[in-house]
Amino acid sequence: MMKLVVGTEAMFFVSLIMAFIYMAYNAGFEPHEVQQLDIKTTGIFTVVLFCSSFTLMLAEKKYNSRKIKSLKFWLAATIVLGLIFLIGQGKEYIRLINDNITLSGSVFGTSFYALTGFHGLHVFIGLIILSIVFVLAFLGDFNKPSSNVISTVAIYWHFVDIVWIFVFTVVYVLPHFTKI
Amino acid sequence: MSESVNIPEPSKAFPGIGVSTDQGLLQWISSVDHKMIGIMYLLVSLLFFVIGGAEALLMRTQLALPMNHVLSPEAYDQFFTMHGTTMIFLVAMPAIFGFAVYFTPLMIGANEMAFPRMNAFSLWITFFGGLLLYFSFFAGGAPDAGWFNYAPLNQKNYSSGPGIDYYTMGLLLTGIGSVTTSVNLVVTILHYRIKGMKLNKLPLFVWMVLVNSFLLLAAFPSLNAALAMLLMDRQFHAHFFNTSNGGSALLWQHLFWIFGHPEVYIVILPPFGILSEVFPVFSRKPIFGYSFIAASSVAIALLAFGVWAHHMFAVGLGNTVDSFFSASSMLIGIPTGVKIFNWLATMYGGKIKFTVSMMFAVAFLVEFTIGGLSGIAFSIVPIDWQLTDTYYVVAHLHYVFIGGTIFGLLAGLFYWFPKMTGKMLNEKLGKWFFWLFAIGFNVTFLVQHVLGILGMPRRVYTYPNLPWYGILNFISTVGAFMMGASMLLLIYLVFKSKKSGEVAGNDPWDAFTLEWATTSPSQLKNFDELPVVHGRRPLWDWKKKP
Amino acid sequence: MFTLKLYVTHFFFLQSVENPASFQAEKINHLFNVFNVAAAAMLLLVCVLVTYICIKFRQKKDDAREASQTTGNKKLEALMIGIPTLLLAYFFWQTVSVENAVAAPLHPAQQPDVIITGHQWWWEVEYPASKVITANEVHLPAGKHILMELRTADVIHDWWVPQLGNKMDMIPNTKNYLQVDINKPGDYFGACSEFCGAQHAWMRIHVIAQSQNDFNNWLDSNTTNAHQPTDSLAMRGAYLFQTKTCASCHRIQGRNAVSNYGPDLTHVASRQQLLTGLIDNNETELFKWINHPQQIKEDAHMPDFIFDKDSVQAIAHYLAQLK
Repeated sequence: MMKLVVGTEAMFFVSLIMAFIYMAYNAGFEPHEVQQLDIKTTGIFTVVLFCSSFTLMLAEKKYNSRKIKSLKFWLAATIVLGLIFLIGQGKEYIRLINDNITLSGSVFGTSFYALTGFHGLHVFIGLIILSIVFVLAFLGDFNKPSSNVISTVAIYWHFVDIVWIFVFTVVYVLPHFTKI
Repeated sequence: MSESVNIPEPSKAFPGIGVSTDQGLLQWISSVDHKMIGIMYLLVSLLFFVIGGAEALLMRTQLALPMNHVLSPEAYDQFFTMHGTTMIFLVAMPAIFGFAVYFTPLMIGANEMAFPRMNAFSLWITFFGGLLLYFSFFAGGAPDAGWFNYAPLNQKNYSSGPGIDYYTMGLLLTGIGSVTTSVNLVVTILHYRIKGMKLNKLPLFVWMVLVNSFLLLAAFPSLNAALAMLLMDRQFHAHFFNTSNGGSALLWQHLFWIFGHPEVYIVILPPFGILSEVFPVFSRKPIFGYSFIAASSVAIALLAFGVWAHHMFAVGLGNTVDSFFSASSMLIGIPTGVKIFNWLATMYGGKIKFTVSMMFAVAFLVEFTIGGLSGIAFSIVPIDWQLTDTYYVVAHLHYVFIGGTIFGLLAGLFYWFPKMTGKMLNEKLGKWFFWLFAIGFNVTFLVQHVLGILGMPRRVYTYPNLPWYGILNFISTVGAFMMGASMLLLIYLVFKSKKSGEVAGNDPWDAFTLEWATTSPSQLKNFDELPVVHGRRPLWDWKKKP
Repeated sequence: MFTLKLYVTHFFFLQSVENPASFQAEKINHLFNVFNVAAAAMLLLVCVLVTYICIKFRQKKDDAREASQTTGNKKLEALMIGIPTLLLAYFFWQTVSVENAVAAPLHPAQQPDVIITGHQWWWEVEYPASKVITANEVHLPAGKHILMELRTADVIHDWWVPQLGNKMDMIPNTKNYLQVDINKPGDYFGACSEFCGAQHAWMRIHVIAQSQNDFNNWLDSNTTNAHQPTDSLAMRGAYLFQTKTCASCHRIQGRNAVSNYGPDLTHVASRQQLLTGLIDNNETELFKWINHPQQIKEDAHMPDFIFDKDSVQAIAHYLAQLK
């Protein structure tokens, strides 16, 4: 089931990314706006988000080998990394808004906030789910080996990470190589 | 050899058919039983069919005479927008889901859907989405930019009322319902089949539901993305489709039709499935070319994502792009059209019984051929350049949606009504209904082809008094009222038969598939034991070898 | 009166796709006819088969035998797929060749002969070479290859005259092109074919095709400034037009009125109809319209003004003189 959900979500992001690219070529972004994006800092936060996938993978592994304590630790690590990413995105937003790049300001602002915002929303939802799993781990729900909750949540979390790789590439990296 | 059916085991704690509680009607609201939910889907569909039909009759009244003044332009625009939106999202889709959630578990030998609570959630969110859409009438005006709601007409500066906002929210909610139902159906079909029912032995209706669910999961996100963008445009002054601020009018068209054309197949594939059950049973033969029908539905699902721009031949995409989409649209016509001959070959050499269900199925063959052929006309780019956005399109799409989807669904209603209620749907009155509906339908829409050729654009609230315009429109209006009358007859028929119809028994049609192997209607637990499936017609095999 | 004339002309020269009057429309019409024959044959085949099978194979009362349980026939299935595929291949070839004839590739340096801009709910017509601007009734020369540029000022509109061939959308922020070779002089009618808001129904098109000579004469007479008002009533009308907001939306060449928000009125009296075919063009109808626009064409962007009857009469009288 989660695979189907991820599949349909993937189509949603394909639409958003295609819309971003379409707007970039059709309407034409202002180049100076694209250059205001902070690729270095965001690159670091991208690595952070990417790491959270590995920590969750470790958590899953620990669960399968019945090490509940380590499971809790790696779950917490995942949540913290996810939070750091969201904070990073928030800082980027604040900086851009101070530079007068807003949702209603320009075509670039519209496309940028819509795409990264929807991704951020998915990270946020993922964090809520992970927090619930974390609490459940303390309540002893995962003392038995038969649960597939963690592996299901992991599918979603990995998906959110992979989407970010695409979003980062399209929004931050590609404009440096193409003339928009 | 038989197999006991345990999965998924419905809990007695959930109210459902055959469980007596003191809740009365409340039982329906709280039910998670797939059969009750299926019936409620069909009732939702019927409710909105009556509303959407009434809107159509109002429009036809306005158009009955040239320069008529029954409706104001705004009222007319709201009605045609709501008519289209209602018929697609609140009639065709709920009706399809109704049959799908009712019969999928029964036909694959399961006792419930995979996620019963989510099933109920999907129904109610769809229904509430519909109510929200209709609330717009009381909140200052319904949406008025057509069911495909083109930019920039959907922007605040051209449609300042709240209608489009209700359209956005309403469709997002029904969209959530559709997606969750699809997930539910896929998981049910893939995991809860009875032993021996491999994918190549699935009843064709279930095949179509399976393909359809995947199609829906892939198509809806595009609409949801477009709706989310539109919402941002209208509420937060974003610039996606706001052409006066650098937005793009065509982006909306692309996103909408990437959803919109698969949507057309979403509402036609399950009726194809219904017909693939009805034709064999009433011809007393197996289906002709099972593999072709099953495989071609997959081909349709894949090709459906490569044809969207044939709705946009007139926007000036250039000859190369137009030619590409022309080729893909013709290509998708082949797996769709050849099925007609599959069904004809199924009937050939059979012993045909003309029940009302079969009459609708046979009429479908002719009506859908007409709709399909005019569809081919639109894949030929130059002809599309002449006739798109005229009454020729109106005729075409109604021959596909009514002649295809609705005829198929009505065949399904007459076929499955005995299973759902335990009573036969009155065959004698049913034949009256069939003739009234079929004749009314053709009278309404056949002449509209001519109106299109004579140059009448669609979506006009009135028209000048030109030769033939008045008389042809008047004929069309007369036909529409015949259809309206036939709908009253159908409603009477359904409730009369439910109350005092002839008792049906478990298997009135001597049918082939598993839903007829249990009581009519089945108990909360559909089956206790079932034969292991060896062929595509399990019940037929079972009856042959006692 | 004009409506009657319209009815008669339409009756004898049906303004339909099936009565082409341009090179482009003829090409498409030919393809449409071929398609219709093929489609009719296909429909006939299905109808005959349905009828035959229904009669031949209906269950007879005393017949208890079982039907033959065939499940398929590979050869027949191949035929069922093969024949439609071949037919469609033919139509695809035709599609591409007609497409290229009707919408031939444009030379980048080619200048449009006429620029038509869609507005809610009227047409702005500009002849760039002679700088003539007019509205709603489109004069075109017959027997000449014409390149039309299509734009919109607001939402999507669509240019379609069935007798003259293909339609083309007018997309915001985009220029679209349409080519037409009209065969002979005459009146050709069409309508906006993309839903564009409340008065989409009254956005009709009237093309007046003229011989090259007549067209040139017409063009010359339209390059001139608007006539000066002659009598006192018209002078009062002209004064009111200029001072009472009319001039802020409408253009009259030679006067201080340049906006294109509403239709150009420089030679409005020389047109046959008003409001894209909704009413005849004379002083009485003009009076009715200006007196109460929202009653004549609901939701049009011209609001109801608070004028006394005399003022309206003066303005109508003035406009009726603008031949």
